[in-house]
Amino acid sequence: MLEIKPVFNALLRSKAGAVMLLIQIALTTAIVSNAAFIINDRIDYLSQETGYPEDEIFSFTVKSFDPNLDLSQKFEETETMLRNIPGVENAGLFNASPLSGSGSATGLSLAPASERGPDVRAAYYQADENALNILGISVSQGRNFRADEVIVSQTRGVFPLVVIVTRTLAKELFPKGDALGQTVYFGSDPLKIVGIVELMKGPWLQDSKPDNVAIIPFVSASTFQHIIVRTQTKQRAAIMRQIEDLMLEDHSKRVIIGLNAMDVKKAEYNASDTLMLRMLMVLIIVLLLVTALGIFGLTVFNINKRTKQIGTRRALGARKSAIINYFLVENAMICSVGVTIGSIGAFFLGRVLLQHYSIPALDNMYILSTALFVIAISLLSVLMPANKAANISPSIATRSI
Amino acid sequence: MLSMKNISKVYQTEKVQTHALRDFNLNVDEGEFIAVTGPSGSGKTTFLNIAGMLEPFTGGDFMLDDVNVGTLSDNQRADLRNQKIGFIFQGFNLIPDLNLYENIEVPLRYRGIKSAERKRRIEECLEKVGLASRAKHLPQQLSGGQQQRVAIARALAGKPRFLLADEPTGNLDSLMARQVMELLEEINREGSTIIMVTHDSELARRAPRNIQVVDGQLADFTLYQNKAMDEIAAKAGQPAIEA
Ligand SMILES: Nc1ncnc2c1ncn2[C@@H]1O[C@H](COP(=O)(O)OP(=O)(O)OP(=O)(O)O)[C@@H](O)[C@H]1O
Ligand SMILES: [Mg+2]
Repeated sequence: MLEIKPVFNALLRSKAGAVMLLIQIALTTAIVSNAAFIINDRIDYLSQETGYPEDEIFSFTVKSFDPNLDLSQKFEETETMLRNIPGVENAGLFNASPLSGSGSATGLSLAPASERGPDVRAAYYQADENALNILGISVSQGRNFRADEVIVSQTRGVFPLVVIVTRTLAKELFPKGDALGQTVYFGSDPLKIVGIVELMKGPWLQDSKPDNVAIIPFVSASTFQHIIVRTQTKQRAAIMRQIEDLMLEDHSKRVIIGLNAMDVKKAEYNASDTLMLRMLMVLIIVLLLVTALGIFGLTVFNINKRTKQIGTRRALGARKSAIINYFLVENAMICSVGVTIGSIGAFFLGRVLLQHYSIPALDNMYILSTALFVIAISLLSVLMPANKAANISPSIATRSI
Repeated sequence: MLSMKNISKVYQTEKVQTHALRDFNLNVDEGEFIAVTGPSGSGKTTFLNIAGMLEPFTGGDFMLDDVNVGTLSDNQRADLRNQKIGFIFQGFNLIPDLNLYENIEVPLRYRGIKSAERKRRIEECLEKVGLASRAKHLPQQLSGGQQQRVAIARALAGKPRFLLADEPTGNLDSLMARQVMELLEEINREGSTIIMVTHDSELARRAPRNIQVVDGQLADFTLYQNKAMDEIAAKAGQPAIEA
């Protein structure tokens, strides 16, 4: 016996409070559904697989200031020294560190630069045949580099002839899926694809194509040299602590800078996303709390205003449950209009965010579940005051003027 | 139909105990019209509230149509109020956000009466109180007398056997008060039992039976029952009630 029509009519005749609440519910629905969606998108982003055993890898940069040093030779010795540290799995020279936020990218094309074919943007790492092993990644199709394919040079006079690419990059270059064995061009240098790895993120996770990555077997030892080390699980921290001493012992005229664990560096790179995530969570909680309090407050206000009316209704034969129902129905009406407007608002807000920020299109499921959640919160917030209303004595009808 | 035996009512506030009713005894038969008078604070409203099951009593026995009210649950009391009792309040107690039609509809909805039947009864009752053309008006668009007539229509719509009125004319001028009184008399002639609390001794005298509440106890007397009725009716320019 829900009395929908009279509740609705009564609501229309005193709408001020209801309209305020309706706006609040609509705003909450619109904002919370988008915020929840963005949060989820960011969580997906932050917890995505990168392909690397992030907790086993660290990197550092060596600044050499001995003008008479043969860098190539010295770093070969250094590599050997590093690999012999107990607990180290592998180590080697790299041009850049994955997930770190700095590195190199180029356009790979199907034709030499002179012919100007379409090119595909890709990040690339330069390292020797140990590269995949150091990064903890295995080849899924084709093969790894052979030692004789690695070019060690201080200049770019000689360039390698082979390349290993990620599956994503291979697909973009050769959509038919026959990338293995094909040739792509790095500028005017041809590179034959000899291996494909499934997953290996580039230096920039926020890039629109973080999965387009190539490894080129080229080592060019420089005075400012990047080194990546992979250790046995749980050994990393201990090794990182002694790395500077060992490096200086190996050669004293150098400085070690930028010693970073891979996962820590990644977290630094993603710090703004993490911050946004937390802020959005706080926003959602605050909004939902404010809405719940608003509904609670309005109901309490309405009940105080209508004490005599409630007593009269009880005198006229309303059971307690009828009084509770009245407030639930009233709230459900305000709420359903509110979430409907809010859902439409959420849809358009989602579009605006899509246009102006790098946020994917809002999934309508988020609108739906937020709407349901807001309705649930709303009904819960009204329940307690409605229960209080039901306990108003019917004698109020004769006692108050 | 109503019988109260040794009813007492004690209001317990923080420090003070108020004996609003004590050893209150009353029998009311079907079809009676009783006016209740008494000094302010003597317990009239308390008595009416207990009679209407609006509040619990502290001691004694209260039978309504052979039902022992003291044993009823809250829901049962609500249902009985809805079915058997019509209330008329001094302050009219119309619901301000509902129009006249919807106001009268309130108790009918609680009883679960179907829409078509509700409509028939509401129109009939509005007709009876002479406000048929104002069904869509809101209470604040009416005068006090009209509002009280709507309240009476609301009380009547459920066809209660029992009408309880607490100073129904208390907020009305004498002309409107008389109109309301006439309406009540007509309703009584049609068979409803009426108990009316009033401060207006002239109106009280028009009722066939008068009772007085003094200090929470009943002084039942039927002063003006026969002879005086004619006199009063004549004075009011009305024919004597013949029922
Ligand atoms: N809720 C309450 N709490 C405490 N005392 C109450 C309460 N209601 C009534 N009383 C007391 O009970 C006594 C009887 O009150 P009641 O309202 O029945 O009187 P009344 O005869 O209707 O008076 P009036 O003619 O002024 O309306 C009074 O002393 C009053 O103060
Ligand atoms: Mg009173």
